Amino acid sequence: MAKLIKGVFLGVLNVVFIWTALFLLGHQAYWVLLLLVLGAALVNFIFISEKGYPYRYLLPASFFMILLVVYPIVYTVYVSVTNYGTGNILSKEQAVTQLQERRILDAEAGNYTYTAYRDGAGELWFLFTSPQGELLLGHAGRLEPVQEGDERFSQLAQFTELTRADLVRATNELSALSFAFDETWQLQMRNINYFGVYRPQYEYIRERDELIDLESGTVYRPVLGYFEAPDGTRLTPGFREVIGLNNFRRLFTNPQVTGPFVRVFIWTVQWALLSVGCTFAVGLFLAILLNDPYLRLRKFYRSVLILPYAVPAFISALIWRGLFHTELGIINQVLRATIGSGVPWLQDPVWAKVALVILNLWLGFPYMMLVCLGALQSIDHEMYEAAVVDGASSWQQFYHITLPLLMVSVAPLLIASFSFNFNNFSVIYLLTRGRPPMVGAQTPAGHTDILISYTYRLAFESGRGVDYGLASAVTLVIFLITGAITFINFRFTGTLEEVRKNV
Amino acid sequence: MKRIAVFSLVFALALALSLPVAASVPGELLIWIDGERAPVLTAVARTFVAEYGIPVKIQELPFGDIRDNLAIVAPTGEGPDIIIGAHDWLGQLVSDGLIEPIDIENPSLFLQSGLDAFTWGGQYYGIPYAIESIGLFYNKDLVGEDGIASFEELVELTKNELAPKGIYGLVLPQPDPYHTFPFFSMLGGYVFGVDEEGVLNPLDVGLANAGAIEGFEFFEQLLNEGVIARATPYDTMMSLFQNGQAATMMTGPWAFGDVRAAGVNYGFTQIPSYKGQYGKPFLGAQGFMVSAFSENKLLANIFLNEFVATKETMLAIFEGDPRPTAFLPAAEVINEDPDMRGVMEAAAEAVPMPAIPAMNSVWTAWSDAIELVINQQSTPRAAIQNAVEIIVQTIQESM
Repeated sequence: MAKLIKGVFLGVLNVVFIWTALFLLGHQAYWVLLLLVLGAALVNFIFISEKGYPYRYLLPASFFMILLVVYPIVYTVYVSVTNYGTGNILSKEQAVTQLQERRILDAEAGNYTYTAYRDGAGELWFLFTSPQGELLLGHAGRLEPVQEGDERFSQLAQFTELTRADLVRATNELSALSFAFDETWQLQMRNINYFGVYRPQYEYIRERDELIDLESGTVYRPVLGYFEAPDGTRLTPGFREVIGLNNFRRLFTNPQVTGPFVRVFIWTVQWALLSVGCTFAVGLFLAILLNDPYLRLRKFYRSVLILPYAVPAFISALIWRGLFHTELGIINQVLRATIGSGVPWLQDPVWAKVALVILNLWLGFPYMMLVCLGALQSIDHEMYEAAVVDGASSWQQFYHITLPLLMVSVAPLLIASFSFNFNNFSVIYLLTRGRPPMVGAQTPAGHTDILISYTYRLAFESGRGVDYGLASAVTLVIFLITGAITFINFRFTGTLEEVRKNV
Repeated sequence: MKRIAVFSLVFALALALSLPVAASVPGELLIWIDGERAPVLTAVARTFVAEYGIPVKIQELPFGDIRDNLAIVAPTGEGPDIIIGAHDWLGQLVSDGLIEPIDIENPSLFLQSGLDAFTWGGQYYGIPYAIESIGLFYNKDLVGEDGIASFEELVELTKNELAPKGIYGLVLPQPDPYHTFPFFSMLGGYVFGVDEEGVLNPLDVGLANAGAIEGFEFFEQLLNEGVIARATPYDTMMSLFQNGQAATMMTGPWAFGDVRAAGVNYGFTQIPSYKGQYGKPFLGAQGFMVSAFSENKLLANIFLNEFVATKETMLAIFEGDPRPTAFLPAAEVINEDPDMRGVMEAAAEAVPMPAIPAMNSVWTAWSDAIELVINQQSTPRAAIQNAVEIIVQTIQESM
């Protein structure tokens, strides 16, 4: 029975593999195909051979790890050394194809009407009428003048004439045709009603990797993702190309980027620290209250206090945005009614930061409360009894017993929370969008922009539209910064492990 | 064990070969369209299929997602043949090599401003179906049947009649460069200058010229005098107008539904004049475009020219989402609606919103400048001059 299930499972898996392989083959994605074949072979080996048995449990985890963690990182590194972004999204091959397909219409030659026929063998014949009324017979890429009554002309009567509906159905076939007018000009389909006289605009010489403008003779050579003439004129579309460390150079030498960077960085650290600090303080306070066995209605309070955690953060943030509105928000209305004046919550740099911290406190304290509640329950009660016997005050109990023991289990979570808030794009973006703007900044930066939202602006609101290359470069830099901070933090918590051993 | 393996492989191979491999096929049209217009196009597609037997697939996407998705999907060969989109995408889509010029069979059937909006480098890149620009909603119960003709008049009215009752003279979304542009343009400001050949010059930014600064200072004055409600986001602006707490509102035809629903006795007209000059809003246009990666470019052209650019289709598009049409045969019918006539009047003064990619670097810095003035943290002159410096620098960077 087990064997049967295994066989069916493996069979289904193989169906998926082979189907995907055929799909990839159809799309000529040979590298991915190679990986797939290797992966499929591995899976089959592991399931069929007894030796592969232990890997059965390791394999799914590694698969998803590679797919969801390793691959995106590798791809980000790759994009950061390319010019991928608006104007450079095609491959070079695609850009060349598009430029080669550009054609120039001889407007003076005018429109040629046509009638199309199919002979018994299914081949197409055309009778063109020039704007001057001359008749031309077109077949297999050749044109020749005919007169009514010619042998070749009357021959057409034996073929089937294509109706308009036939023509529409055959547009893809018709538009691929080309009839040599002379050495340079070709008769090609213009639209369903007419043919026009065209010639190609560019010729691509593959051996020399050059694109030549056939009219002016200008030679375009590929420079950093564009075909460029000697005078610097660029042809669009550009293409995607590896440009080395240019993105990083732009990042570190461009005063526009580096200017507000320090201010943004300082606020990012403040923001992450304040967020973690406030949520932890409030969460811990509430947890200690709720942990008191003499408190009535504990379960009720606990459920109510978890509510902010249960409401999606996106909704809460938008509601708070309304509450903080300077003129019409409820907070300022209450303030005005009680103390006489409101606070410019989202307009003043300092108050905007306060508003953000308040919002994040609201969103974050239930999580800290839950974590602390769990940790508090794991602390042995005997220690408190011993402390009471030794005459410790409740503050001393908290400071010398509760806090250190709590930290052992909570500290890693605080670090995780720090890293999370370091990159907490959504809260910033939903409440302030990084505003209010800095006065006189060289680049659009706001007082509440953190590194990641600042990156977002650089990448998606830059001069040329979207700039994935630069964005990836900045992402990697942020990755390194967060990585370093987390590393230092873990070293720090490593010392906390000592506390446990000594207790 | 081995037998199971062999069996499963044979079975898999047989099944895999019988499954069709997904790939884009020539001879079949795929259209990306937003939800509001999808039903109309589905009906149009049905007549196309009936006439020519060529299958048409309609895929529904949110309007704003179409541009970015095209950039990702089209180069892989999985993209659509036809997309719906806004004219200000043109610059980016053309420089990305994602869309193809369109052969419009009968340009005289279209409103010239709609065609201009979809023209790039002397070629048409889209078949426009709608144009729009912002204008002035006015509450007839507060300002009278005929609305407001000039800002001078509005200021008088607010001081003498509205303010004592706690009613604002004007509301508009803030900070929002798109809606604030008429203040910059009315005395001669512009976003990008035009060179001798009629091409936009991204390095000639006219948002801080004398006229623009004067207009911006006038905007600040209106804020300070309480004629304009300060720092109102779109929703707040709307509720102020709906509740009769604001006499006029500067926004576009998309607001008709909300205003009607609130039962306001409203009118819609062009933006008032200041010193005898009308504030020119941005003109926007929406239309259909053909992907450069389409395997059926001519077929797509036929579909658009013969089945979409018709009175019936354009009227159906209007019914589904009332916006002023860019198709003249349909305009005769549509302009009987007084709202639509108002929008056409407002659009008559409008200037096309620049479609060049450099526009991306304008919005943020400009919006920041407006916000600094609204927050009273900077003078209009200093704020906009600094913004223009940033804009020009960013654009130079990217060239």
